[in-house]
Amino acid sequence: MTGRRRSFTAVAAIGVLAFAVACAPGNAGGGGSTPASSAPAPASDTETFTPPKVTIGTAEDSKGPAPAPEGVVRGGTVTMLDRDDFAHLDPGQIYLNTESNMALLYARGLTGYKRVGPNEYKLVGDLATDPGTPSDGGRTWTFTLKDGVKWQDGSPITSEDVKWTMERLFAPHITYGPAYIQQWLTGEEDYKKAYGGPYGGKRLDSIETPDEKTVVFRFKEPHADANFALAMTGYAIVPKAKDTKEKYDKEPFSSGPYVITSHTPDKSMELERNPHWDPATDPIRGGYPDKWRFEFGQERLQITDRFIADAGGDKTALSFYAWVAPERLQQVLKDENLKSRMLRQPSPYGNYYYFNLDRVKDIKHRQAINIAWPTRQLQQLEGGPAANVISTTILNPVVAGWQDYDVFGMKAKPEGDIERAKQLMAESSDPNPTIVYAYNQTPIEERKTVVIKNQLAKIGINVVPKPLARKTYYDQISKVDNGFDLYWGGWGQDWPSGSTVLPVIFGPVRDGGYNLSHLRDPEIDAEMKRILELADANEANAAWAALDKRIMETITPIVPDLNDIGTMLYGSRIGGAEIDPQLWNVSPNLIYVKPQ
Amino acid sequence: MLAFLTRRTIGAAVTLLIIAAVTFFLFFAVPADPARLACGKVCPPELLEQARRNLGLDAPVWQQFVAWLAGLVAGRDYEGLGHCPAPCLGYSFVNREPVLETILDRLPLTLSLTFGAAVLFLLFGVGTGVVAALRRGRPLDKIASVASLIGASVQIYFVGTLAMYFLVYQWQILDQPRYVPLTEDPIGWAYGLLLPWVVLSLIFTANYTRITRSTMVEQLTEDYVRTAVAKGLPRRTVVGRFALRGTLIPVVTIFGVDLGHLIGGAIITETTFGLQGIGRLAVRAVTDSDLPMLMATVLLAATAIVVFSIIVDVLYAVIDPRVRLS
Amino acid sequence: MSTATWTTESPVRRGPGPFLAVRDLAVQFTTEEGVVHAVDGLSFDLEKGTTLGIVGESGSGKSVTSLSILGLHDPATTTVTGEIWLEDRELVSADRATMERLRGDRVAMVFQDPLSALSPYHTVGRQIAETYRRHKGGSRREARERAIEMLRRVGIPQPHLRVDDYPHHFSGGMRQRAMIAMALVCDPDLLIADEPTTALDVTVQAQILDLLKDLQQQTGMAIILITHDLGVVANTAHEVLVMYAGRAVERGTVREVLREPRHPYTWGLLASMPSLRSPLDVPLRPVRGTPPSLLAPPPGCPFHPRCDFVDLAGRELCTRERPALVPEHGHADACHLAPEDKRRLTDARDDRKERA
Repeated sequence: MTGRRRSFTAVAAIGVLAFAVACAPGNAGGGGSTPASSAPAPASDTETFTPPKVTIGTAEDSKGPAPAPEGVVRGGTVTMLDRDDFAHLDPGQIYLNTESNMALLYARGLTGYKRVGPNEYKLVGDLATDPGTPSDGGRTWTFTLKDGVKWQDGSPITSEDVKWTMERLFAPHITYGPAYIQQWLTGEEDYKKAYGGPYGGKRLDSIETPDEKTVVFRFKEPHADANFALAMTGYAIVPKAKDTKEKYDKEPFSSGPYVITSHTPDKSMELERNPHWDPATDPIRGGYPDKWRFEFGQERLQITDRFIADAGGDKTALSFYAWVAPERLQQVLKDENLKSRMLRQPSPYGNYYYFNLDRVKDIKHRQAINIAWPTRQLQQLEGGPAANVISTTILNPVVAGWQDYDVFGMKAKPEGDIERAKQLMAESSDPNPTIVYAYNQTPIEERKTVVIKNQLAKIGINVVPKPLARKTYYDQISKVDNGFDLYWGGWGQDWPSGSTVLPVIFGPVRDGGYNLSHLRDPEIDAEMKRILELADANEANAAWAALDKRIMETITPIVPDLNDIGTMLYGSRIGGAEIDPQLWNVSPNLIYVKPQ
Repeated sequence: MLAFLTRRTIGAAVTLLIIAAVTFFLFFAVPADPARLACGKVCPPELLEQARRNLGLDAPVWQQFVAWLAGLVAGRDYEGLGHCPAPCLGYSFVNREPVLETILDRLPLTLSLTFGAAVLFLLFGVGTGVVAALRRGRPLDKIASVASLIGASVQIYFVGTLAMYFLVYQWQILDQPRYVPLTEDPIGWAYGLLLPWVVLSLIFTANYTRITRSTMVEQLTEDYVRTAVAKGLPRRTVVGRFALRGTLIPVVTIFGVDLGHLIGGAIITETTFGLQGIGRLAVRAVTDSDLPMLMATVLLAATAIVVFSIIVDVLYAVIDPRVRLS
Repeated sequence: MSTATWTTESPVRRGPGPFLAVRDLAVQFTTEEGVVHAVDGLSFDLEKGTTLGIVGESGSGKSVTSLSILGLHDPATTTVTGEIWLEDRELVSADRATMERLRGDRVAMVFQDPLSALSPYHTVGRQIAETYRRHKGGSRREARERAIEMLRRVGIPQPHLRVDDYPHHFSGGMRQRAMIAMALVCDPDLLIADEPTTALDVTVQAQILDLLKDLQQQTGMAIILITHDLGVVANTAHEVLVMYAGRAVERGTVREVLREPRHPYTWGLLASMPSLRSPLDVPLRPVRGTPPSLLAPPPGCPFHPRCDFVDLAGRELCTRERPALVPEHGHADACHLAPEDKRRLTDARDDRKERA
């Protein structure tokens, strides 16, 4: 082709491409975050999120059936769309929130969370008649199994099954689930050293089964919230007679409303009614649809587009955790027609920028950084107020007894208070310190790093950014001698109590541990120990909240990060859809299919 | 021919062995610890150690490799998971599913995707290239060139997502692409893969058009093509019997490479259309540090490429009698 | 396309006349640099049963002429004007279907390099047979028999075995014979051989040329033999046409042109041929200068930049006026020199040669 013809061709090609791009509705072309150039609008000026209320229920509350949503109808098939399959179906191997959520369909534990009203939950007995009876100062817990609770083959669920469930968690092949009960029963952190599991014939003395319906846990120390711990999916009951060890992870035996009837890994799964599940025994699960069909492999963007289009079979579809794709968020939030099929919920996690207290020794530096922190700018980068809320406390609002406070004015002055911070820096030991900031090397984090660096430069701090590879990020920052001063980390509570947050993130300091700020304060440790031994849950919750504020005010080991808001769509014929505030997934418990 | 095939097969086996070894050792060169990545939310050192033992990661790397090789040839026993017969590709670190079964489950989709797209891009690519060469300099040639340029610049993720948005969700002309086994329902099979086939073949078509066109233009200037015309053979025969033959050589070359790559997994296409093929397995294996799956997908892709290169060599000899298989 | 202009020749008789009549053939190629006038007003006749040798150096337009007869130029870049009459049929304006019927059947061509001119992908037998089947029909078997027959005729030993060989299995000489076999399979009336022996050894050359002569005697076909080698012409042709810069500069019988050449270019050609009899230390005498660019042929005689006799003929004349090929029949040349001068210079050449 001659020069002239070539350029004509190029221009024509560009023209066609440009035309195609112009026709694409907000197609930003790559997964990731909303481009910063488009001005995000807040969902509404008056949008607020109320933290859920979690209290402890009674025996009466523990009775089934589950409170039904208005207009509920039994029957129909629900389709669930998500990208990833569930790697673990054995409750003992489940710690991920997504797997916990899914397990609600087939796995029941001694206790669980019952939805009693919008945003209101009670810890009740699931298989047990009530949320447990503590004695001996909280060292002993007694549960009684309900009548009429059965496995999918009709055999009764017995106390022997409960004991077996706890014991098998000590076996070598169980490595993924929670460790609380095992540690409390043996008093050892490395609990597998103390006991190797029941498969060899050896049993645990600390769990007693005086009769078929009674289970007694004998912990070494008092544990006021053992009933909360037992509500975790990791402690859902497994039948002794049907324990197939490793294979159980693929084919669990159901105690819940549904039985898994087919499973093609990464492609599909189907569940049908468990004929031996009696709704009268279950205060938590509705079991309304006849059938559940899971479809895996779809990316978030496709799932979002399907929900928006709401065509054909997608009317009876939902997703557990495929949030609305960032490319479509603005469009979805503005669309009036989608309001009735949209859910929004902030995450239950704690996100923090940890200071390495071994290196950043001057509290005035840490506080000045908090005061100057560019919260508003970071919020904009992540999609604006529509996509995340400002957090100012260590504990997440989902935690029972949570108290809001704003020591450093992050909500009052989200763009940072440079003047006040400068004053504090002037009083500090070094007005121009260097801060080594490690971050996960992704495009959005790069942008955030620039914002942080520029802002802190205004108060005289030289930020040295250190990008880290995603796969090894946690390994590197969790080293005690990591060589960094500031880095991001997250933690989610295992049940809504400060006891699963503060003692963990301010617990033992070691390589691979979770005390990323390396906080070692004997007074704080003593206070935590004291609260853990309190028998009254309400008193403990209040104490955790107070400790939260005290740590922030007197030590300031972190800068609180924003809290994501998840936006979810679902099909127009789905009813009873809500995002579980703790699991941060759409809960399957009260889902039903509306008739045509 | 037999000597040739034997030699190439042995060469292929050696190549694959080297690739397997390099991949295996490279995996451990990366600092990410697969046991750590596979470990749960809370991972105290003792549990981590147990996880490593469960995954067989506590043995020295060379020993793990030998065990893997041995499993491939003779089968292997896994604690708790039973006996895995030869060829044993192990169990995924992520979900403990047998890798061989997973691969075999995904292979029909990848093969279908490959085959369908290949038919399309060969037909259209070579066809357009031939027509463009014959009508060189004329409007049809120019249109073909522009179309090739656009096709070559296209991003599957862009066009595919766009196509899905309009054709599947908004206008509902097509259904959600899905894989229906050929043996079950041939029409459904073709219909379900139609959109991915078309989008996937767009990029390749452009390439084949360009190669075919330029080679064909060259071929048309060959002396023996002139001779064929001088003998009074009709145009159709001259192009089809003489010019096309020589054009096939570079086409066959790139076709072999393309087929090998496609069988290794059309990652972007699979992701865009939500299809579960080898490509997504491969990507997941890398991001999740799933060694057994990684080895299997790498080996599959390498084998495909090696096998196709042998086939291509044989085809050369078939197309061009001057080529001796030596 | 037919243009009814010819300058000095009288109108050609259509109908019974020369077997092949070329009138005012002009071939132009459009290239990036401009229009190349490869052939610029060429006319000649050919009778059945005779061989015409077209001689010239590279770029003289001899191959281009031969390709024009069969219409083998790329219509996209080539403009052919003039007339080519094959008996009563005009070829320049003929449509594709007509030409396709003619090629290989009534008019056949043998090319210079048989290795590149034969398809490497098909057996020799197949290539011969397909021409036969195309024009004469017949089954595969018949065509194959015919191919074997042709191979035998051109002197290839064991033709029934060689028929299934590929061209690269043949030696150079055998390949050229095979190509000749392919050209003659349908008994053409006109064979165009474009430098058929250039790629071959001298000994093999002689064999091929003899073969052509024999075949001509057997079949009575006309042959156009294109070559740059005067020796070949002397051996095989009856008439010779000397071309320079796309034009005919001399034409006549072989005896006339080689014994009494009348054009300075022909003198130069003859003088530049090394002789086996000349002593080794005598330097070769090439024609001085280089062939002209055919992009914009200057007015006047195309040879004048290289001609030693420009002043003798008259500088004004040579640089301004194109010499016509005169006379119309018989021994003709295109030069402004007066006939006496031409004769004198020819004789002087002969003397020089005899003394050398």
